[in-house]
Amino acid sequence: MAATEPVYEVELSCAVNGEPVHVRVDTRESLLDLLRERLGVTGAKKGCDHGQCGACTVHLDGRRVVSCLTPAVQAAGADVTTVEGVAGPDGELHPLQQAFIDHDALQCGYCTPGQIMSGLACLAEGHAGDDDEVREYMSGNLCRCGAYAGIVAAVRAVAEQQGR
Amino acid sequence: MSSPHADVQPVDTRRVDAREKVTGAAVYATDLHPDQLAHAVLATATVGRGRITGLDTAAAEAVPGVLLVLTHLDHLDLQSPGFVMGGGYGVQSLQPLLDEHIAYRGQAVALVVAETLIAATQAAKLVRADYEPEPFAVTLDSPGVERLSQPAVIPLPFLADLDVGDAESAYAAAPVQIDAVYDQPAQHQNPMELIGATVWWRGDTVVVHEGTQNASAIRHGLARQLGIDPANVEVVSPYTGGGFGQKNSLQIHIAPLAVAARRLGRPVKLVVSRTQLFHHTSFRPASRHRIRLGADEHGRMLAALHDVEHQTSRFDLFPMMYTETTARLYGIGDFRGRQTFARMDTQSPGFMRAPFEHPGVFAFESAVDELAYAAQRDPLEFRLANDTTADPVTGEPFSSRHLAQCLRRGAKLFGWSARQWQPASMRADDGSLVGWGVAAGAYPASIVPSAAHLVASADGRIRVGVDGHEMGQGIRSAIALLVAENLGLDVRHVEITVGDTRVATQHLTAGSWGTASTLGAVHAALRELRKQLGADVSGPVDLAAAVGATGREHVESRAETLGPGQTEQDAERARQGLVALAGPEFTGYSTFSWIAHFVEVRVEPTTCRIRVPRVVSVADCGRVASPVTAASQVRGGIVWGIGACLREAGEVDPRYGGWLNASLEEYPVPVNADIGTLDVDFIGEPDLRFHPVGVKGLGEVSMVGVAAAVANAVYHATGVRHRRLPIRIEDVLAGTGLPEPRL
Ligand code: FES
Ligand code: FES
Repeated sequence: MAATEPVYEVELSCAVNGEPVHVRVDTRESLLDLLRERLGVTGAKKGCDHGQCGACTVHLDGRRVVSCLTPAVQAAGADVTTVEGVAGPDGELHPLQQAFIDHDALQCGYCTPGQIMSGLACLAEGHAGDDDEVREYMSGNLCRCGAYAGIVAAVRAVAEQQGR
Repeated sequence: MSSPHADVQPVDTRRVDAREKVTGAAVYATDLHPDQLAHAVLATATVGRGRITGLDTAAAEAVPGVLLVLTHLDHLDLQSPGFVMGGGYGVQSLQPLLDEHIAYRGQAVALVVAETLIAATQAAKLVRADYEPEPFAVTLDSPGVERLSQPAVIPLPFLADLDVGDAESAYAAAPVQIDAVYDQPAQHQNPMELIGATVWWRGDTVVVHEGTQNASAIRHGLARQLGIDPANVEVVSPYTGGGFGQKNSLQIHIAPLAVAARRLGRPVKLVVSRTQLFHHTSFRPASRHRIRLGADEHGRMLAALHDVEHQTSRFDLFPMMYTETTARLYGIGDFRGRQTFARMDTQSPGFMRAPFEHPGVFAFESAVDELAYAAQRDPLEFRLANDTTADPVTGEPFSSRHLAQCLRRGAKLFGWSARQWQPASMRADDGSLVGWGVAAGAYPASIVPSAAHLVASADGRIRVGVDGHEMGQGIRSAIALLVAENLGLDVRHVEITVGDTRVATQHLTAGSWGTASTLGAVHAALRELRKQLGADVSGPVDLAAAVGATGREHVESRAETLGPGQTEQDAERARQGLVALAGPEFTGYSTFSWIAHFVEVRVEPTTCRIRVPRVVSVADCGRVASPVTAASQVRGGIVWGIGACLREAGEVDPRYGGWLNASLEEYPVPVNADIGTLDVDFIGEPDLRFHPVGVKGLGEVSMVGVAAAVANAVYHATGVRHRRLPIRIEDVLAGTGLPEPRL
């Protein structure tokens, strides 16, 4: 009987964009829903809720994950970074954010937070050596507007600035 | 703050709302989380058609945190919104949750609202319905499909049969003929932003936040459904996370959400799941095109017959305009167009980017390629030889048509002259078959009534409230550039509000009329503002000084504009939230946008995988209102055309109804690695006969013809013609004569 099913809740502590977070979460809750619906951190977007589009990409201890497939409890003790945590504290854009603007690597902007988080990871992983490599390693992030050419150009521009 | 003064620096043409989008500061409708927010989830029907005979919501209601379960037993007391293409406002006329009838699999049967998304999700799964199933049809070939000739059931002039000259006789007499059928699947828009809304009541006013292309339809449609004054509906949609036609009218969840929010006295948010979305709202209907073309020995096209049928629902007739565009591609003197509905049991289909022009032109431009080969001509030369300056349908001139220039410039950029005519004759170093294909595209220019409100301030800034929606196409950027260039301002001093019924009527933004319509109104409001400021009719204005000189803090101007030939009646329709279009035929001329695409494909000989390493596209969209966002629009259109040709098909299940591949995994759209080099160029000639600043449409023409160019390239690579989309590995493999792989 569903009505009498126990509800599992646990305490969770983590950091979101450097801010400490202590919250009770349902063990069925995704990190994406925790961020968006409970913490009001809405930069990460829901495009499928099934790990198929990348719109919800965030960094968990510096690694990119699709937060819709990451149980919130998995963030226990971790540093979570979303697109809101990428610019400097004074609002100074990260070079990749600037490159997205300069190369018009976006249209509607809905996939963009996920693209930025994946792009940062792509650079950090050393997977931005040439255009084809970027295309491959950015293919987990769908852009229905079709801003792919600009996305590749933006990631490559930053890779070149960084001397990769 | 720097003074926004004239002639300081070159205008910054980058997208004006990009910063918000790269920082996560752009707030989309379902990013909102007002106090006391409750979460809604839909439960949906599991039969292809039938009647609900029993409904059990007890288990759902017992889930802790569940606040409300709305079904047809709750007497929602909602009127039909009417179909957006049938004088109404809705994505379809059928409003679910009102009675026990199920018209299609996936139709909503309950709206569950709970304190948390988890509780609502859990409870929605526990809603039980029993059904008495009825027979249904879901494919063009299913028994039970009802066929209706379009002019017989919708006798409107712009939907009539097209008869120019005597196409049948001219075709019969033509020495070179093509007669072929092209099949195209249903497709789903799948904007990345899921469809959904956040809705609440403020006193007697219902406030709706939803990513939309048509805030006015939501306003007036919801008012009709609830039986309230439209003045008591506010719709706010500053950012739409992609629309592509799917968000062009009132969705079926809005009225139930409004009811739930009123009953609970709380805001309610719904995000429709991706799988439900395939059944919840519009899609591109499947269509079948028979094309007959005739030419003489010299490669002159003499006759064309284009017969189309496309699917629609049992309860709405989604009108079609395929032949309107195919009749204009070339100077063919004898043309016949026939369009037929095939009614079946799905939700109502609707607009998806280049709704008729993409499928129609795929078929037509494939046939033209076949004809060019049958006539032993180069497909580029063949197209150029059949150019026209007059509209073959009306006999009047086109206000502008630079298609030949698009073809010539594209050919040069692409290197077409190095192409070998013979199919299957070009190979890459790695052994891949290389194919080069070309196709033309066109899209009718339409224009709608529009409104703009400008407020210039003594601090040198200007606020622009307009009739228009931003779905990523860049309308904000086009407006900002027009205002900045007109007054000699820094674009950063132009603040723009779109998609908001509090500032202006919000006519549907679609059909590539948005920029032209909105810029027309902004341009008129700028003229008025100059008058108010006592400024010259052109040239830079020191806004701070000019406003200061009036002794006021702000100087305002307003303009309402109409398309050529439109009257107060059209303005009134727009104010009522109805579609009010003019075009593409105007008094004395017709207006279309034009494009040429050149595509290289490589077909790997053993796996038969098709890759598209490069595309060159050259567009004639009149004046390019915003060069950066325009180029992105065209690149996006190319990506869509590649997806349409090689990937996308909504698969139906003839046994159970509904869409089978209802996820982004099983309905593949192009990913980054699918896209190679895209070179985009514009002719850039303003069309001042059509528009005060010379702008035609761009968003949709950019996709038109791409699929044909890809398919023509596949033919050139392999020597096999594919007439059914998408072209998949197994189709290419079958064409090679290689044995089927054994599993
Ligand atoms: S929302 Fe997480 S991958 Fe799509
Ligand atoms: S910018 Fe719209 S989905 Fe990528």
